Amino acid sequence: MKAFANVNPRDLKDAVAQLQKPNAVPVGGGSDLLGMVKEHLVEPDVLVHLRAVRGLDQVSNKGGEVAIGGLITLDTLSHESLIRDNYKVLAEAAESVATPQIRNAGTLAGNVCQRPWCWYYRNNFPCFKNGGNRCFSITGENKFHAIFGGGPSFIVHPSDTAPALVALDAKFRVTGPAGDRTIPAADFFALPKANASRENVLAPAEVLASIHLPKAARGVRSTYHKVLDREAWTHAVVSAAIVLEMDQAICKSARVVLGGVAPIPWRLPKVEAMLAGQRITPELATKAGEVAVEGANPLAKNGYKIPLTKAVVSRTLLSLA
Amino acid sequence: MSKISRRRFVEGTGAGLVATAVPLKGQQQGPATATPGVPRTTIQVTVNGTRRKVEVEDRWTLVEVLRDHLGLTGSKIGCDRGECGACTVLLDGKAVYSCSQLAVWADGRSVQTVEGLAKDGKLDPLQQAFIEHDGPQCGFCTSGQLMSAKALLNRNAHPTKDEVRHAMTGNICRCSIYNRYVESVLAAAGTLSASSGRKA
Amino acid sequence: MNTLNSVGHPSSRIDALLRVTGRADYTGDLRLPDMLYARVLRSPHPHARIRRIDLSRAQAMPGVKAILTRENCDVIWGSGDTRNQRYLFNNPVRFAGDAVAAVAAVDRHVAEEAIRAIQVDYETLPFVLDPEEALKPGAVEIQPGGNLSPNNRSERKPEVYSRGKIDDGFKAADHVFEDHYTSSHINNAQLEPRVAIAQWESDHLTVYTPTQGISNCHTEMAKDLKIPPEKVRIVCHFMGGGFGNKNQNHDFELMAAMLAKQAGVPVKLEFTRKEDFVSVHGRWPTKQYYKVGVRNDGTLTAIQLRGYSGMGPYRKGAGGIGGIEIYQCPHVERSVYPVYTNMAVSANLRAPDYPQGVFGLESLMDDVAYSLKMDPLDFRLKNMTRKFNDQVPYTSIGLEECIRRGAEAFEWKKKFHAPGEGAGPIKRGAGMAMGSFFSNMGRSSAVIDVDAQGMYHLHVGVTDVGTAAKTTMALIAAEELGVPLEKINVIWGDTARCPYSVGESGSRTTTHTGHAVVEAAKDLKRQIAEKGMPQGSDMLTASVNTNPAVVPNSARYSFVAHFAEVEVDTEAGHVRVIRYVAAHDSGRVVNPLTATSQVKGGATMGIGMALHEELLYDRASGTPLNAGYYGARVMTHLDAPEVEVLWIETEDPYGPFGAKTLGEPTIIPSVAAVANAIYNAIGKRVRDLPITRDKILGVLA
Repeated sequence: MKAFANVNPRDLKDAVAQLQKPNAVPVGGGSDLLGMVKEHLVEPDVLVHLRAVRGLDQVSNKGGEVAIGGLITLDTLSHESLIRDNYKVLAEAAESVATPQIRNAGTLAGNVCQRPWCWYYRNNFPCFKNGGNRCFSITGENKFHAIFGGGPSFIVHPSDTAPALVALDAKFRVTGPAGDRTIPAADFFALPKANASRENVLAPAEVLASIHLPKAARGVRSTYHKVLDREAWTHAVVSAAIVLEMDQAICKSARVVLGGVAPIPWRLPKVEAMLAGQRITPELATKAGEVAVEGANPLAKNGYKIPLTKAVVSRTLLSLA
Repeated sequence: MSKISRRRFVEGTGAGLVATAVPLKGQQQGPATATPGVPRTTIQVTVNGTRRKVEVEDRWTLVEVLRDHLGLTGSKIGCDRGECGACTVLLDGKAVYSCSQLAVWADGRSVQTVEGLAKDGKLDPLQQAFIEHDGPQCGFCTSGQLMSAKALLNRNAHPTKDEVRHAMTGNICRCSIYNRYVESVLAAAGTLSASSGRKA
Repeated sequence: MNTLNSVGHPSSRIDALLRVTGRADYTGDLRLPDMLYARVLRSPHPHARIRRIDLSRAQAMPGVKAILTRENCDVIWGSGDTRNQRYLFNNPVRFAGDAVAAVAAVDRHVAEEAIRAIQVDYETLPFVLDPEEALKPGAVEIQPGGNLSPNNRSERKPEVYSRGKIDDGFKAADHVFEDHYTSSHINNAQLEPRVAIAQWESDHLTVYTPTQGISNCHTEMAKDLKIPPEKVRIVCHFMGGGFGNKNQNHDFELMAAMLAKQAGVPVKLEFTRKEDFVSVHGRWPTKQYYKVGVRNDGTLTAIQLRGYSGMGPYRKGAGGIGGIEIYQCPHVERSVYPVYTNMAVSANLRAPDYPQGVFGLESLMDDVAYSLKMDPLDFRLKNMTRKFNDQVPYTSIGLEECIRRGAEAFEWKKKFHAPGEGAGPIKRGAGMAMGSFFSNMGRSSAVIDVDAQGMYHLHVGVTDVGTAAKTTMALIAAEELGVPLEKINVIWGDTARCPYSVGESGSRTTTHTGHAVVEAAKDLKRQIAEKGMPQGSDMLTASVNTNPAVVPNSARYSFVAHFAEVEVDTEAGHVRVIRYVAAHDSGRVVNPLTATSQVKGGATMGIGMALHEELLYDRASGTPLNAGYYGARVMTHLDAPEVEVLWIETEDPYGPFGAKTLGEPTIIPSVAAVANAIYNAIGKRVRDLPITRDKILGVLA
């Protein structure tokens, strides 16, 4: 590995100050970042070790609004009873990440801000994500690439927790040199047509400090279903995070967000609209699967994601009915 | 059931093996001189119950320090990328990939490695079960498998077969002897049912 | 079969304690005084001429002690290519991953920074990845003389085997079936990446290295370095697997030796996991065109195979496509073209010729059986081999029993159904396949000393790749000597202390070296009978070199039949292996505990080959994309089904106590069994490995 200095910031303010040093990079659990440093995808002079800041790994409940410190580990998050009971989709998403060892180290903020696992990016091809100006997957090995929202880059967002947080309508509290700001989860992620080199709107030296979940409404049911490329430790080929607000057997409102299919967590407003006010029947679930893939634009080798997405959406919905 | 008892091993009576002339095993030893311009930090880590003070380059991973500077070569480096699990250790009781942790991040924390499993010359039940149920084949992944199993049994003394498989799924065995590892862990936990016992 | 005292009883490994306490010393765990660390610079291009290498920045870095390039190192790695001269550093470079330079420095980080500081001016050349493309006129020539690698007679012709007259076979057929299949380049992916330590003491070289065979490594090192064998010592105490890619000597050992020579101190050279994946070798990718003739009653009349194996740019492996010999058939013709390509090098991986060949063959045989409305199991019972190549009797054969008893344990009749039958999106299917593997006898050696305390010191040149070879040898010695296992000390893994052993490849150690152990034990018993047990500090020593041959006009083989049940999610394309039975005839089983482990492992590895593994290339740049355990989707705990193992212990008159070969047969039919089970489940055939989700959803669309 290239030489760098590790700094342990005292608090968030200090972290932001350290991050303004030349070539400083934030690190949470480090599982992914150290791999990228070893591969020279990231070449920091300073690593700002955010886990050194105390108190950023707590879950708190203030009048029903739940705040989660960004540096909570995925393992802790997935076992937190408040989350398991009221925001099951998030607990399940966190539990589906990688392996026990990675969940013991990896953080929520790190998972949300994880860089893509596109083969080309990870192999140092000069693509948009590596400071270049093309996407090699378009004519290359694109089996795991985007069927929605692609162009000019066709990566898929690698996070499992991100679709869950968008489905939960979470808000992200971001701290940076210009102070704090709060961003709705859905607005945190950015399509490549907005900025092909990044996956989100974090400015330099900004840190995702905490995540805030709205008060859990009564009758909410939620779940995360993930299709992996083997039984463990792959990113989602396709996943679905679904939150339904139910009144007995009737769905009052729905939020349906896909992972593994687009450069951002991919929300399905049309599916959500067709579910509102309805009883979730097998027929409706099948129809929802079909509507889910409307507008999909597959590349040469990822067309299979269309039937797969249909199946994942309809099955995930039915599992909540 | 197996012919070689723990007693014999621990007491080191019957031989079984003669190791050939061995060079120094990774004992405590850093490079002769610090590489100029490379940031270093002195850290204190409790390793297998003993407090160790060591000066490290900030870029050194925990597994590098364990292996190259603290003489604990039981943890292996199979991929160095958090993909295989051969380097698994317990950090404050939780299984982590020590290739994916910087040593400086372990400052003030406690690390348990495979060398810390046996206590007072007595093998951990997991180690004994791994011997009897033929856990290791080439053995390179074994330390990591043991540490993931240890983390599991620490929090769940009587796991089911599925719980074992989930808890150990971050540990690749290319000899692919997963059946034996699961069998061993269940045996150590006393939950190996008659039906899943070895048929050999 | 008679019961023995030691052989045949489940025994824990004699080195198990070291393996579970972290005290087994693998090469990477060792350190010598003043040792340097080395790293290798590799070509990013699949084919390029090197115009110039600028070392100035690397040389100027503090801590850099030695650098090798083609300019100052013209060592030829003999076993790296059996047809061409392959240097440690080649120009032109012929695959992405070909070595360009090696650097030794005071620590691994400095070495790594130094290789990044080397500037190489490449002139890129056209490249070709696909073996059939590489044979087309106008394809870039990768080695002088063309891309068809010479056969065993040094002719630019395919390797051909035939018997009968293939055209007669097709004329005699009522039906002819034809299809083609492909298999991928997959990596051995043993957990331990390559690492070697080389140390010169005056003109005497010691290399600590994870090798599958200290003896052949020793011979090859001396030959390549042009030094007398007595000045080379190879040490391998423990090694973390190889599955065929740590046999003979390798470039990393030669590089470590040359760097150590230049630096004047010991050097430890380490490969990264990625290097181990792309720069060593994996299983050769193949294209297989099969044509089969069959009568209405299901009797085979002809089997024809034209196959292409992508060898990468160097001919390190044979490139065969095996399996046809498991069928009885009067007219057979097999032509296999080993072809140079600019992909990663291909060579041995557990049963090198077989799982991919058996996948193609057994897929087609399944289709033939289904077309004739025969149960595929009955089709195999009808057509399975009875004599080797229909001519030579086997010394023992338990294939029929493997099939029958395996089917019984698996409940074949209950699980097998018409292809694609069953309601609902999740479909189950049953598949089976069979195989055989050469279990020859051959040259090896053993030395046994007995001391006055009654301890027997067994010197054998094994390294134990994970097969429990040391324990196997100890059991064989204990059996023949008539002493408890505890009385056997095994001395292994050091050419200074061990005699020749065949090397742990070709699944030969139990038979070859095991036979030598039996003969040494017999000799020692004779000496004890004559002279009595030694007294005081005396010892008696028996030293034997054996080279037994199987009696003329007979063939010695192990046999196997595997049965898989899968669940295929037809909407998600997901496959799960839910039940697996492996029935093996390996003659007498020396250690049922560790032998059963081997079968479980081999079958599980084969399931991964069937469902997941493939080294993926970017076709535009000719570079690999998914090297590593994550990318290769190597089987995990959650992927591995319970593998049930059945032993069909035939009585074989040869080998130590009738033991036949085992390690490699364990993977031979596994890929095909899974593929056939998928077909049975969904009624559609995927002919290209691996059988991934996209392909399953593709054939179902």
